[in-house]
Amino acid sequence: MVTAKIMKMNHIKQGKFSALLKLTIAGILLFSPVLAQAEIEGVPLHGFLDVGYYTNSKDANNPALPDLPRGFNVGSLDIYLTPQFEGNVKGLIELIFETTPEGSLATDLERAQVGYTFSDNATLWAGRYHTPYGYWNTAFHHGAQMQTAVSRPRFLDFEDKGGILPAHMVGLWATGKMRAGDGKLIYDVYAGNGPAIAGNVLDIQTAGDNNNQAMIGFNLGYEFSGMADGLRMSLYGLRGDVVDDDAPPNKTELSMAGAAVIYQENNWEILGEYYRFSDADQSGGTGSHSSWADYLQLGRNFNGVTPYFRVEKTVLDQADNYFAMQDNGQSYFRQAVGLKYDLNQTTSLKFELNNSKFAAEAGRTPYDYRRFLAQFAIRF
Amino acid sequence: MKSTFFRYISAVLLVLLLPQLANAADVVIITHPATTISAGDVKDIFLGEKQFSGGTKLIPVDNASMQDSFLTKYLDMTKSKYSSSWTKKSFRDGLTPPAIKSGDAEVIDYIKRTPGSVGYVSSAPSGVNVVK
Repeated sequence: MVTAKIMKMNHIKQGKFSALLKLTIAGILLFSPVLAQAEIEGVPLHGFLDVGYYTNSKDANNPALPDLPRGFNVGSLDIYLTPQFEGNVKGLIELIFETTPEGSLATDLERAQVGYTFSDNATLWAGRYHTPYGYWNTAFHHGAQMQTAVSRPRFLDFEDKGGILPAHMVGLWATGKMRAGDGKLIYDVYAGNGPAIAGNVLDIQTAGDNNNQAMIGFNLGYEFSGMADGLRMSLYGLRGDVVDDDAPPNKTELSMAGAAVIYQENNWEILGEYYRFSDADQSGGTGSHSSWADYLQLGRNFNGVTPYFRVEKTVLDQADNYFAMQDNGQSYFRQAVGLKYDLNQTTSLKFELNNSKFAAEAGRTPYDYRRFLAQFAIRF
Repeated sequence: MKSTFFRYISAVLLVLLLPQLANAADVVIITHPATTISAGDVKDIFLGEKQFSGGTKLIPVDNASMQDSFLTKYLDMTKSKYSSSWTKKSFRDGLTPPAIKSGDAEVIDYIKRTPGSVGYVSSAPSGVNVVK
């Protein structure tokens, strides 16, 4: 059971190189003549690439568990474009290329956003975007070279790699910043297709909201300046109904609220995010279920060498169908220690050792493992 | 005696301050003639935080020959941090980092023909707005 679950976490995305992607590329070519020639010179191509190596211990208590993939690997190639059109219209197109554990190529249209900037304080995006909860998901996402650690906190990972929240959303997103006192008030308000749970993995429903369960959310924060420059604090929430593919299907009202404290200045990096869930069973009548997840990461840059440490933990109620129906919904505790070495401002070499322990819960097999990861990451 | 002492002190202070004054005069912020900004806006413009002046979209442009001086004086950051800041900004907000011109002549030429453009050079040229 756990074997299948672990393998399914890395399910193949090949075949998703869909008509939507082709349409997007065609759209860029079609509209390129109306790019604001006076404002920009061409459309810059940006991206990230990472390759690496990993190995892991075997769970002595569960010898039947399969090994996680080990050895050298191609992480991901992430390419994104930021075309600026006339009339305050802009775009953000991001493509991701990854290899699956089976060695085949997986491609995905990671983001396809069209935005209109009303003023310095407000931009409205439509399309597929990174869901703006917390900090990590929009700040780093597939940009491995930008983040200090090799790995993401597992519960904030992508839907098919350990994440328990919809890391992507298709819909509308209003975002902006405005001066308030010495610092800046930052906000995100968004609404889009609510995810479903299909095959025990969150499905963000890119092609349309088949179950008509919209999801809404917000992120409200403050960026300090002056003595507290680099400090950012925010509150965020997310709410919507999620239907799974059980027989009969369960309907759960997902309700998440959280807070983040981020400090990135004076060579320090302190990242902390907390998520509280109060999910209501809409179909089975089992009431509300509380769960939580958090992580804290500390790092300090010494002339391009940044040692870091992270702890992350989830306590997820298995009576909550939202978690019970997800492969990634098992509670766990992880410690990670690592080192990032910046060869230059666009190239980093990283090493990480982490220890993960998955809880004994109803319907779950407890297991634990240690993992060593090395990563060579660049941005361009 | 007293006046000689003050003359010495004044001369020493002048020698010490001259390089500072020279550095302060090194970076001149200029804009397209039809674009108006204040010196207090410069940091936000070059970090992608301020994109408009009235109804005009602002287009910052970097000057490779003076970037270090500019970043130190106006943004209080290193080139590495500036680059990293723009990577994050571009990745999250879909903004395009400022184009980089090789020197004063290229910047001035670009500023003159591009409405909304903002740049920096080593001395004030004619035909553009100089931000004070």
